[in-house]
Amino acid sequence: MRAFPILGAAFSIPMKINLKIKRFNPETDKKPHWETYTVEVEPTDRVLDALHEIKWNQDGTLALRRSCAHGVCGSDAMRINGRNMLACKVLIQNIAKDGDTVTVEPILGLPVIKDLIVDMEPFFAHYRAVMPYLVNNDPLPENGRERLQSPADRERYDDTTKCILCAACTTSCPSFWARGEYVGPAAIVQAHRFIFDSRDQAAQQRLEILSAQDGVWRCRTVFNCTEACPRGIQVTKAIGEVKEALRTGIIQ
Amino acid sequence: MLTPLITTARESLRYRGSGHVLWLLHRVTGLGVVIFLGTHIFGMSMATFNPPLHEAMLAVYKTPLFSLGEIVLAACLIFHAVNGTRIAILELRPALWDKQEVATRWSVIITLILLAPTIAIMAFKSISYYATHGLR
Repeated sequence: MRAFPILGAAFSIPMKINLKIKRFNPETDKKPHWETYTVEVEPTDRVLDALHEIKWNQDGTLALRRSCAHGVCGSDAMRINGRNMLACKVLIQNIAKDGDTVTVEPILGLPVIKDLIVDMEPFFAHYRAVMPYLVNNDPLPENGRERLQSPADRERYDDTTKCILCAACTTSCPSFWARGEYVGPAAIVQAHRFIFDSRDQAAQQRLEILSAQDGVWRCRTVFNCTEACPRGIQVTKAIGEVKEALRTGIIQ
Repeated sequence: MLTPLITTARESLRYRGSGHVLWLLHRVTGLGVVIFLGTHIFGMSMATFNPPLHEAMLAVYKTPLFSLGEIVLAACLIFHAVNGTRIAILELRPALWDKQEVATRWSVIITLILLAPTIAIMAFKSISYYATHGLR
């Protein structure tokens, strides 16, 4: 079937996998524990489908967060087989064979509310800290329409506009695990998106925030964030460019 | 204070990623070198402040366990230097981000290339030392 992917999809053979899930119920548990479920899936199913199968047909107490279920909203970031990814974007055939065990646990570094749901508030607090909005105090253009920008200027920060705030990058970062006060990759990506926007005027303020004790310099260039990003954002590169701007004083 | 430390240490070992493994090794080897440096400075200062203790430490160093330790130390130093160079280059040249995975492989390859003759020379010297002086 490998040579005929379309045929393979049409006649895909169902397989059994074990899902080992880290569970935690704040009302009854002191510590999280592992529970294993066996589910029958299509190889082209996503991990989210397997989680749905458990929640809907096997154990309704399993708690997880997901909204759009198609890789856009960023609600279902979790650690699958030891790496952060979106449960709705990873196909089971790419991470497991028939009979394999897939581990699923909440993303690390944020307080677990229940099972796979974490408290995102500390993450969003870091997001807000870098002024993630356009600052421009000049009067509006004469014609009352938008502030213009060349395609090249728009291209400059295109990569960092893709962020969906799923927290997969920030919670893959050892610096963030060790110190929750570190703003983390996602907030730096958001800052990068405005620092390098030619229409924005608050780059210096953002750079000042990011050069503080818990700013960009806590980054150890581990590259976990780049590997974790479900949108393929070049996170470590963006952080490197912010560091470069701080080092040289030139935003280019 | 201690909980995040323990969590970080435990989960660092459980997380998967190509750069992650080298980051872990970088930390461990860095720690090893720092501990050695502290011991070394202490030992050397004893040459002035407490010569008998200094002599005793030198004698301990001339045992097989510490000879092995020296080789491990050399390995730590070489890996830390090579991998540190990789990190410095990637940090100073963010545009090279897509070479990260290749760079991790080269870090390991260069470390091994430098390490092989180092281990050979050190092991040969240690063995010939113990052959002439005997084990204590």
